[in-house]
Amino acid sequence: MKSFSIRLPNMKKYHWQATFGFIFLAVVTAAVFYAFFYLRHDPTLTNLEGGLQGRSLQHPLGTDHLGRDVLTRLLLGGQQTIGSSLFALIAAVFIGIPFGLVSGYKRGIVDRVFMRIADGFLAFPDTIVAIVLAGLLGPGIGNLMLAIVMVKWVSYARLVRSTVLSEVQKDYVLVARINGLSAGTIMRKHLVPHIIGHVLVMASLDLGKIILLISAFSYIGLGAQPPTPEWGAMLNDSRPYFQSMPELMIYPGLAIVIVVLFTNMLGDYFRDQFDVKREVRQ
Amino acid sequence: MTLSIDRVSISSQKQKIVDEVSLSVRGGEWYALVGQSGSGKSLLSQAIGQMLPANLQAEGSILFKEQDLLSLSSKQMQKIRGKKLSYIFQDYQGSFTPFRTISQHFDEYMRTHGLSSAKTREEKALDALESVGLDQALYRQYPFQLSGGQLQRVSIAIALLLCPDLVIADEVTTALDSVSGHRILALLAKRQKETGCAILFITHDWRHVRRYANRIAVMKAGKIVESGGKHRILDHPRHEYTKQLIQAAPTLGQGLPLGVKKVEKT
Repeated sequence: MKSFSIRLPNMKKYHWQATFGFIFLAVVTAAVFYAFFYLRHDPTLTNLEGGLQGRSLQHPLGTDHLGRDVLTRLLLGGQQTIGSSLFALIAAVFIGIPFGLVSGYKRGIVDRVFMRIADGFLAFPDTIVAIVLAGLLGPGIGNLMLAIVMVKWVSYARLVRSTVLSEVQKDYVLVARINGLSAGTIMRKHLVPHIIGHVLVMASLDLGKIILLISAFSYIGLGAQPPTPEWGAMLNDSRPYFQSMPELMIYPGLAIVIVVLFTNMLGDYFRDQFDVKREVRQ
Repeated sequence: MTLSIDRVSISSQKQKIVDEVSLSVRGGEWYALVGQSGSGKSLLSQAIGQMLPANLQAEGSILFKEQDLLSLSSKQMQKIRGKKLSYIFQDYQGSFTPFRTISQHFDEYMRTHGLSSAKTREEKALDALESVGLDQALYRQYPFQLSGGQLQRVSIAIALLLCPDLVIADEVTTALDSVSGHRILALLAKRQKETGCAILFITHDWRHVRRYANRIAVMKAGKIVESGGKHRILDHPRHEYTKQLIQAAPTLGQGLPLGVKKVEKT
């Protein structure tokens, strides 16, 4: 007698998160690119007579108090917010990785010096650094990004260092050294692929935080300066009209919430992907 | 003389771990360094390649082909390691970078030592795989797809690839089952005959020593207590510790070890 068994497909717990995350990322990128090439309205052109209009064919999301098209500003604000967050994040990662690699691999005096520098940066919370920089160099999205990079690179350097410290103990690094490979080659070819997963997870979780930070600082006036469209700044601009036209605050607010939510979902997905236990489970 | 170690001490800040050890390995011989765990055998072998952890210091002189290895700069040492002096480790699984294929390991190793032609490199690697009795299909696989014995064979193939003068085999059979272990050593002996390299064989297993070694040194608590030819040590051990070690080794056809009494059937 023959027995049949049906094999159920392996349902991954967080698969839907990744799908949503990726689709959303694609949509946002497309929308932002679309705004870049095709603008129906000047995002900074004020028209006081046409202010606070409702939804219409010409202005799908209406106009703000200065008569600027909200949809255009929302899309360009997305460019500003997501673009500068990504830029700050990538800069932090690219400073943190080599720092952590060298520190963890060389150890000794190099490690001590590097880590004391990192500790120095770590002593200041990101908000304080951003406020101080805004005070010293003037408010603006560039200075805000500088502040974020200054604070964030340290956590990447620390993460990379701790991973490298444990990897360097392993025999394959010893064998690579014994085989006569230079320190640079060992770091690039044998250690970087190991740490890239950890860094990716942390970066995708950080992206949401940075977006919030940039929006928050623009909201209190230390980030993007008017008339640059930026979600946080748009929230602040629409504050006086909250009673009469709440949607002016709802649109940028919703945009921030959704983007942060989906970047976090993506981060969760990456974390599960690189989880060691997951490999064991399979 | 391939390697001559002269009064080498290894110490941490707190204590001396290896104390004035001297030994010499001749060209083409199988030199066994025997001792229990923690006796300093592995540290001594690491000192030869300047591979000691940063908190340990080595003093004395290690002459390798008339060059004092302890006085070389790390750049000069990098040229010797892998080319004239190579290692095989106990942990075969950990000796390979997990996300690089066997071919990438071979390739990178040869490129580092100046073989520029990709075709020559591949031919040489495939020949080496065949010389250790492995199928060429393994060439494109990842380390985790190979069994322990296969990986250890690949380690041997890589270690002997550039015909080094000295191979340091540090407990190479410990993590393998005894049949695979014997096969690996038979292979190592065969490859040694073919390449003419000297082997510094670190072990605590007397069975392997009995079969393959030419000369033996016995190490205890950082000191060499006795050294000499195989038969001299095995048949006429002078030091009390050597006698204990030999008696503790399980062999067929001997009585029970000391301190164990046979239970009479009633």
